[in-house]
Amino acid sequence: MKVLFTCAIALVGSLYAQEAVTAAPAQDHHTATESATKATIYKSIVRIEVASQVPDYKTPWNAGRFSGGTGTGFLIGKNQFLTNAHVVSNARRILITMHGSSRKHQARVVHVAHDCDLALLELVDFRPFADLAHLEIGSIPKLESEVRVIGYPMGGERISVTRGVVSRIDFRPYAHSRSDSHLIVQIDAAINPGNSGGPVLQDGKVAGVAFQGLTQADNTGYMIPTPVIRRFLKDIEDGSYDSYADLGAYDFALFNPAMRKVYNLQANDPGVLISSVTSGGSSSGSLKEGDILTAIDGYSVDSSGNITIAGERVNMNEIIERKFAGDKIQLDFIRDGKKLSKEISLKTFPPASMYSAQYGKKPRYLIQGGLVLQPLNRNLYAAHKLNNPRVRRLFSEYVKEGIFKERADILILTRVLDDPINSALSGYVGSAVKSINGVDITDIKQAHELLNPATPPEFFEIMLDGLDRPLIFPSKGLSEANQRISENYGVHKANNLSN
Amino acid sequence: MKSFFTLSIVLASSFGAMAKDVSDSVIRVATTLQSYNPSQPWEKTSPRKRRALAAVLPNSQVLTTAEMVTDANFIQLESANGEHQIPARVVAVDYEANLALLTPNSDEGIKTLGKFNGLEIAPTAHLGDEVNIVQIEDNGMTLITEGRIQSADVVASFVPGHFFLNYEVKASMQSAANSFTVPVLKDDKLLGLLTSYSSKDQIVDIISPEIIKAFLKDARDGKYQGFPSLGIGTTRTTDIHFRDWLQLSSDKGGLYVTRVLPNSAAALAGIKTGDVLTAINGKPLDRRGYYHANGYGQLFWSHLIRGSQPIGSTIKLDLLRGGKPLEVSATLKRAPEGIIPSHTYDKAPRFLVKGGIVFQELTKSYLRAFGDDWVSRAPLNLLDAINHPEDYEKGRKRLVFISAVIPTPATLGYESLNSVIVEQINGQAIEDLPSLIAAFKKVPKNGIHTLKLDGQPETIYLDAKVSDTVDQSLLARGLPSLSRETE
Repeated sequence: MKVLFTCAIALVGSLYAQEAVTAAPAQDHHTATESATKATIYKSIVRIEVASQVPDYKTPWNAGRFSGGTGTGFLIGKNQFLTNAHVVSNARRILITMHGSSRKHQARVVHVAHDCDLALLELVDFRPFADLAHLEIGSIPKLESEVRVIGYPMGGERISVTRGVVSRIDFRPYAHSRSDSHLIVQIDAAINPGNSGGPVLQDGKVAGVAFQGLTQADNTGYMIPTPVIRRFLKDIEDGSYDSYADLGAYDFALFNPAMRKVYNLQANDPGVLISSVTSGGSSSGSLKEGDILTAIDGYSVDSSGNITIAGERVNMNEIIERKFAGDKIQLDFIRDGKKLSKEISLKTFPPASMYSAQYGKKPRYLIQGGLVLQPLNRNLYAAHKLNNPRVRRLFSEYVKEGIFKERADILILTRVLDDPINSALSGYVGSAVKSINGVDITDIKQAHELLNPATPPEFFEIMLDGLDRPLIFPSKGLSEANQRISENYGVHKANNLSN
Repeated sequence: MKSFFTLSIVLASSFGAMAKDVSDSVIRVATTLQSYNPSQPWEKTSPRKRRALAAVLPNSQVLTTAEMVTDANFIQLESANGEHQIPARVVAVDYEANLALLTPNSDEGIKTLGKFNGLEIAPTAHLGDEVNIVQIEDNGMTLITEGRIQSADVVASFVPGHFFLNYEVKASMQSAANSFTVPVLKDDKLLGLLTSYSSKDQIVDIISPEIIKAFLKDARDGKYQGFPSLGIGTTRTTDIHFRDWLQLSSDKGGLYVTRVLPNSAAALAGIKTGDVLTAINGKPLDRRGYYHANGYGQLFWSHLIRGSQPIGSTIKLDLLRGGKPLEVSATLKRAPEGIIPSHTYDKAPRFLVKGGIVFQELTKSYLRAFGDDWVSRAPLNLLDAINHPEDYEKGRKRLVFISAVIPTPATLGYESLNSVIVEQINGQAIEDLPSLIAAFKKVPKNGIHTLKLDGQPETIYLDAKVSDTVDQSLLARGLPSLSRETE
């Protein structure tokens, strides 16, 4: 079964779709001190109102869609508000409102981590908030224990509190980046649009950040637990977010008896098979395909790639999850029957961003002779519904087969702005550009240079992946055509080569 | 007295629908078709039935479409009046041209059919000619629909990508007792077989007499060879900048050659990728690949090869290479099948089950079984092999892959290894399924088979003894056999 996660940000439009609310009789059985503590905590939980500009990968020269939404955030330090990355993604204006006040304070993003859906904001003028309590980051709540979710979800303007029970602790996908999985805590309180970025409290401390729900289940909410929050806060201590490191190796479970026999493993021997090593990744040069990884940083790895930390059986990548780029870890493995041990230095792996949703970046593109070329990534893949089998293959094997080494950008012909100079080429939209004038394409800047040489050739010859004929357009009349195209199609800028 | 009576009947009916009784020149074909299960190649899918009307030819032969008899287990001919039921067999079949020649199984059937009024093949028709479409109603009455030939076109009526000359006829038909595979007559001769009817446009497609004559001529000696093919892929030269780059003058048409199949007629004639094919046997091709055919108007070039020429004939091809004219001659032959056959009708898929791993040879039919949107749903690596077989041809006659992994003690941990292409078994390169079977027969000293795959991991292992035990238990569980070595 495929499960859809939804990020719990309230879009402005959804405010108009409120449901009728029946008032429940107020209950007051708390002591005075309890109420006082609560009031203090409520003050530190703020409503975040965001106006955003979402880049348009379909017509990349356009400004994009102006939109907005609301979310929740909370004060964790002096002028430090924690919220979800997806609340402030593509933000152009951020306003923070205190509980019990209607004044809007301008804020800005200090750090944003799309891979773990967390962001740190600051106010332009912190003085009105200076006396508020800072929420303390606690620990992972126990299964079946009760937590409170506080925030500003849809259905009203004021603060909302719901209670729930911790129902599961697991390693699950984070919806925001569409390509990352981290530790996640599931609770049985619904997390609704607007709750995003709000604290989940236990014993007065932060147990997590509410961030996503399930579309196919009721009363299921997910929060980002404290190890992920702490890691984010530690990562930004040096002034920049470096994102997660990556082992750079794929494993294959060693369940098969014949396989175990060949690798000379007894039934209870540890170790998982390394099925491939990403070239240029952290393990590159240390691990090889066919190695048996037996321990990672001293933790024994079982035949399915799991380790045991504090009594819990978790994926071995949990070790990497808790480390930072530059950290060293010890790998114990067996190669050709010999026990080996190597220390590797962890690094982030930028080519993997091919698979992550991009935010806050102006899409890169290049137009020449009405041919629109854009580098492939997840946003582009979704915007243009690419279906060409060669393109799908380049996408899926970009990291695994090391395609990124030769082709940092996979340039896709995403559109032909019809003009006499290209009138016969619209049928080739959706293919990847292999070469221009006989030179293999490595990235968009190089492609731009090849398409705009100092002395233009008589014809530009573009070869596409999997197509046996070149696309041709002449240099003669090209600048006139570009002028025409830019006027007719409202393309005010012929390219954006970096973001 | 009696003859006078008959005559008056004929007159009466000719005043009505102008229908002549041709019920002794046509015969119903009822077939039971059953194809192999693509994912479980040891078994067949549930059988289905088809009925159509076929044309009776002289010499107790019957002509129908290939799709009527493809994967047929049982073929029966039934006379219009219900008097005769004659089991029959296929004499020759051409899936590409969508034609099949049948004959009764028994001498008795041949004798019975011999009493029918076998149809002659009509000469080539002209645009605007009137034709009669023959159907038989349940009660045995002949139903004639008149139509007029609107155009001639080169279309694929059964196997995608194989184009043959068809007539397109405007006619308003009713659905009678059988499907729209029916004979079409002109002047009481067989003009063609109707293969499709669009009720929306009221247009029918009819396989032309040229194609039928060529098929029957080829089938006469009992060794059917099929239609030749040049073995090239082409694209139009309508794009003016492409034409300038090719140095094509504006008075020239022609097709740009994008691909030349190795060992094809074109390859042997020296045609190269990048050539422009401007004329075939002196007939100039226009920018879209059409030529002027007398009486038919513009026809697609492939009819100059497939339908106009038998295998072994030599044709003259005019090319432009680097802007300079060049003339070559090609001796026509069948296109090489390549490592991935475009169709495998009436063939049993070769397979091997080893320890629960199911090995098969990749065919287009296998991928089409992924449904209407198979181009999106089929496994990406296999789609790539179909689109670019040249990348996989080296050392292979066929592409062997793992089509399924049955969970068994021998395949523990391998359940996810679907659709992976097989490179080597026990150090032997795998060129087709028989070579895979042979490679598994040599059990290595340590008792473990080594499988090298185009996947991750690259190497997996199977315990020979455990696999054999598992295979025996699969047989006990109802698999009829563990392998099929011949198609």
